Amino acid sequence: MSPQIALYDPVFRAYFIIVLVSLTMGGAVLGFLRFVLNKETASMFKTYWSWIFMAGIGLLVVFLGRIPTIVGITLLAIFAFKEFARASGLYRDWWMTGAVYAGIVTVGVASLISHPRGEEPGTGWYGFFVAVPVFAIALILLIPILRNRARGELQRMSLAIVGFIYMGWMFGHLGFMANARNAYGFLCFIIFATGLCDVAAFTFGKIFGRHPLRSEISPNKTWEGALGAFVVAMILPWVLRFSFPFFGTRELILTGLIVGIGGQLGDLSISVIKRDIGTKDMAATIPGHGGILDRIDSLIYAAPLFMHMAGYYFPLK
Amino acid sequence: MKRWRYDSARDLDQAPIDRLRQFPREPDMLVYGLRSLCALIIRGLLRVYNRFEIIGNENLRTNRSLVIVANHCSHLDTLCLLAALPLRKLHRAFPVAASDYFFQRVPRLWAAAVLVNAMPFGRHSRTRRSLTICSELLANPGTILIIFPEGTRSTTGKINEFKSGIGALVAGRDIPVVPCFIDGSFRAWPKGRRIPWPAKVRLIAGAPRNYRLRGADKIDICRIAAELRDAVNELGARNGRN
Repeated sequence: MSPQIALYDPVFRAYFIIVLVSLTMGGAVLGFLRFVLNKETASMFKTYWSWIFMAGIGLLVVFLGRIPTIVGITLLAIFAFKEFARASGLYRDWWMTGAVYAGIVTVGVASLISHPRGEEPGTGWYGFFVAVPVFAIALILLIPILRNRARGELQRMSLAIVGFIYMGWMFGHLGFMANARNAYGFLCFIIFATGLCDVAAFTFGKIFGRHPLRSEISPNKTWEGALGAFVVAMILPWVLRFSFPFFGTRELILTGLIVGIGGQLGDLSISVIKRDIGTKDMAATIPGHGGILDRIDSLIYAAPLFMHMAGYYFPLK
Repeated sequence: MKRWRYDSARDLDQAPIDRLRQFPREPDMLVYGLRSLCALIIRGLLRVYNRFEIIGNENLRTNRSLVIVANHCSHLDTLCLLAALPLRKLHRAFPVAASDYFFQRVPRLWAAAVLVNAMPFGRHSRTRRSLTICSELLANPGTILIIFPEGTRSTTGKINEFKSGIGALVAGRDIPVVPCFIDGSFRAWPKGRRIPWPAKVRLIAGAPRNYRLRGADKIDICRIAAELRDAVNELGARNGRN
């Protein structure tokens, strides 16, 4: 991955156009709702502007190459964890927060460097990347011992471990995918597909939504929305087959399942956390979306599953 | 099993920019780290570029709450006073800054809230409320308030009248007030100039004063303000202001 390669890469160029077309179509639909049907769309427009902004940054970072992508994903993971820490109250414990930040940076470093003895092809030290949770959890468990404290430490350790594994390591898989031979196809597809599925779930839910999906977790999500998103997710890998021309039927179906079910499970799992803490959004970082964590929730769940599925059938690097 | 209690941040529903506007701000590890790093760089730059020098450093060394009062003719003043404090006290040191000037537009707001840890002070409205916040801050031991009682930067280099609010804050309270004179900052970076010049800057910290035996009526308050101004002026005169 580099700007020179991206410029001539058919997959990246295709996604550039696809994103442009999708955003234009979305804008056209919103404009139709607003000016022809005179619907109240102010909040949707806010969400839409944020989408344009995020799509621009995302495309730019992927265009700039492997190192900016991994650094960008690591920064995103740090800020996503920061939101989690602020919402759960863990941010008051600087030792734990610091340990998790250190762990997230280590995930980024493991994605950046190569195997020190050259036993793995290409960049990214996969063995270390997969082992980072061991060291991070060891560090987190060490902290109460170093500080000679026990009261309330189980809660802090648990929150720190969930924060690191979920927002740091699992999301970090997205950064590691920048090392893949087919980096553009994998990255662009999984980011675009989860984003589109979120929009599809929202749209189908808005139009057809009747039956609550999980009433105790997220009252606004409906079975109709989830099914709509699932159908979109199952079709999408076939439509965007050029992103991974070597995928067979089995892999395409698995990809659809991961995006269609995994993405929505990610959404719901963050909702469980929010619901227990008692907050509506994790933060107010992105206008119309909520926090960073509210935006990347489906990606956190789907990206690692997708990477390991692809890595099981085809060598990643 | 009992439920866990989550101690969420109070400002979860606010956009990041609005979080900077409110006071007191929630502690933030990343902000503290960035602030410490920038403070180190600023200290280095001041020493090299402005040949910054501190006289009477021992007057600022205390673990109690402290009010630092100084003359004001440049943005460098705040940076100099912060540079005179130990690094670990940086996050408990609040330069009192005009909310109408520092807490409106984003770049300035960011610099004020993140880099210098400023406390927004209502110069024109809600002054009494701002003074109450100052007073509550001082109740925590180890708080340092940096106040420029002139209320704005002097455009002539001379020290203007001190506002009486400083008197109201310290009258009748057992809090050390350290008068400081900053010499050379007017030449280095006066109001209206874009970038600082490499003129020498000195900070002279005087002996701490205490106003716990003074009343808080109008006359006394104004008198305290005048006394503090004289003290700052005298520090300048005694140490060969040029």
